[in-house]
Amino acid sequence: MKTLKIFVAVLAISISVAHAQFTKAEVQVSGLTCSLCSKATEKSLRTLNFIGDIKADLNRNVFVITFKKDASVNLDQISKKVQNAGFFVNNLKATFNFDNVKLTDDYFNYAGDTYHIVNVTDKALNGPIALTVVDKGFAPAAVYKKYSNAAADNTNGKTGRIYHLAI
Amino acid sequence: MQRLIIQTEKPGVFITSLYNFITNHLAMKFIILLAAAFLAAACSAFSQELYVNTEPASNMATHSLGVRVENQGYFNLVYKNRSTLEFMYGASKDLMVHGSIYQSDYYQGQQHFEGGSVYAKYRFLSVDSVQSHFRGALFAKASSINNPVTNQEISLDGDNSGLQGGVVFTKLMHKLALSASASYLHAFDNTGDNHLPTANAANAVAYTLSAGYLLFPKTYQNYNQVNVNLYVELLGKNNPGYGQNYLDAAPAVQLIINSVFRIDLSYRTALWNDMQRTSNNTYLVRLEYNLFNLF
Repeated sequence: MKTLKIFVAVLAISISVAHAQFTKAEVQVSGLTCSLCSKATEKSLRTLNFIGDIKADLNRNVFVITFKKDASVNLDQISKKVQNAGFFVNNLKATFNFDNVKLTDDYFNYAGDTYHIVNVTDKALNGPIALTVVDKGFAPAAVYKKYSNAAADNTNGKTGRIYHLAI
Repeated sequence: MQRLIIQTEKPGVFITSLYNFITNHLAMKFIILLAAAFLAAACSAFSQELYVNTEPASNMATHSLGVRVENQGYFNLVYKNRSTLEFMYGASKDLMVHGSIYQSDYYQGQQHFEGGSVYAKYRFLSVDSVQSHFRGALFAKASSINNPVTNQEISLDGDNSGLQGGVVFTKLMHKLALSASASYLHAFDNTGDNHLPTANAANAVAYTLSAGYLLFPKTYQNYNQVNVNLYVELLGKNNPGYGQNYLDAAPAVQLIINSVFRIDLSYRTALWNDMQRTSNNTYLVRLEYNLFNLF
């Protein structure tokens, strides 16, 4: 009976951990039109081990990425891989599952990094929510400059890199 | 009238003049037709910058390899041709390098290995937005060639040992891609005791202007659709202080298969030329295969 209780407890923890994660992302890439360029970008992105699948919209230059379940997603690596292919991320909208995630002020932690929601609303965050990264490397200059004041961080006790997100 | 009489008196000259008249005007008509096609297509098509006779300011993807096999040549009483094997590698997001080796019968009765060249291009400017960009790059080339020097033209693609350095800017808009480059060339003596004649220019200025657009597909469905791109490029050289110039037009058609395999077809013809060189009219056929994330 004790073993069963421990098993249930471990299962509950692992489920809650599994739920708090990035599930997919829509990445719009700037600076290209041709399918050869898109192919180079997709091939570059596919070298990331946390990416499960990619569906490309060649007319809008949007890559819909599905992340592997329980893999640690690193958004900076996505931006780097796009730049390695010779282009830039114009927009990255990632879907994060907020089940069992505790927001401290406007911050939450994921895989060792800190995420700051710069335009947080009053409503409680539950389930999958799409978040747009507004940092340099993920958006045009006009966008990351617009959020630069709101993105000022309280760095006390924050770990890893601090990403800035808009809902 | 006087000209006509002279031509009648010298049939050889007449035939040459007639040939020049027809070829020049056909070339002009073709160029005008392509220019019109550009303007018409500019309203509905996306542009391309995978130029056939020049390099754009953009680079290949990091750690990807392009392999090119190329043949170009001409008919001028006899048929002569040159083959090139070229490897291109994306060293980083801003730097790419090429290495080429050449073989031709341009200067001898039979095909022989002529030497090689290396090329590097560094992208220093990128102003990108969705489906458009403005980019700038610096490039440099060095070649070592063993042919005798018989031309006034300095060319590092199999003809001269030398150095080249230049700058290229490429503007990709939704509907039109334009690219312009300017470079400076310096020729050395060729290897194998083949000296640059003292009467020859050792320095040249080269300039190019290129435009291209995607003809098919009108709308993308997948990576496997064959892309058809059309190009028109203007290629000029000048030997400063020697009054030697040429300007060539080089229309080209390009097919891209499975988004990795490129077939280029181009015909390069002189709009004007007063420089001794291999040929005023050259065809080019090139196959290119791209391997992504090789290392």
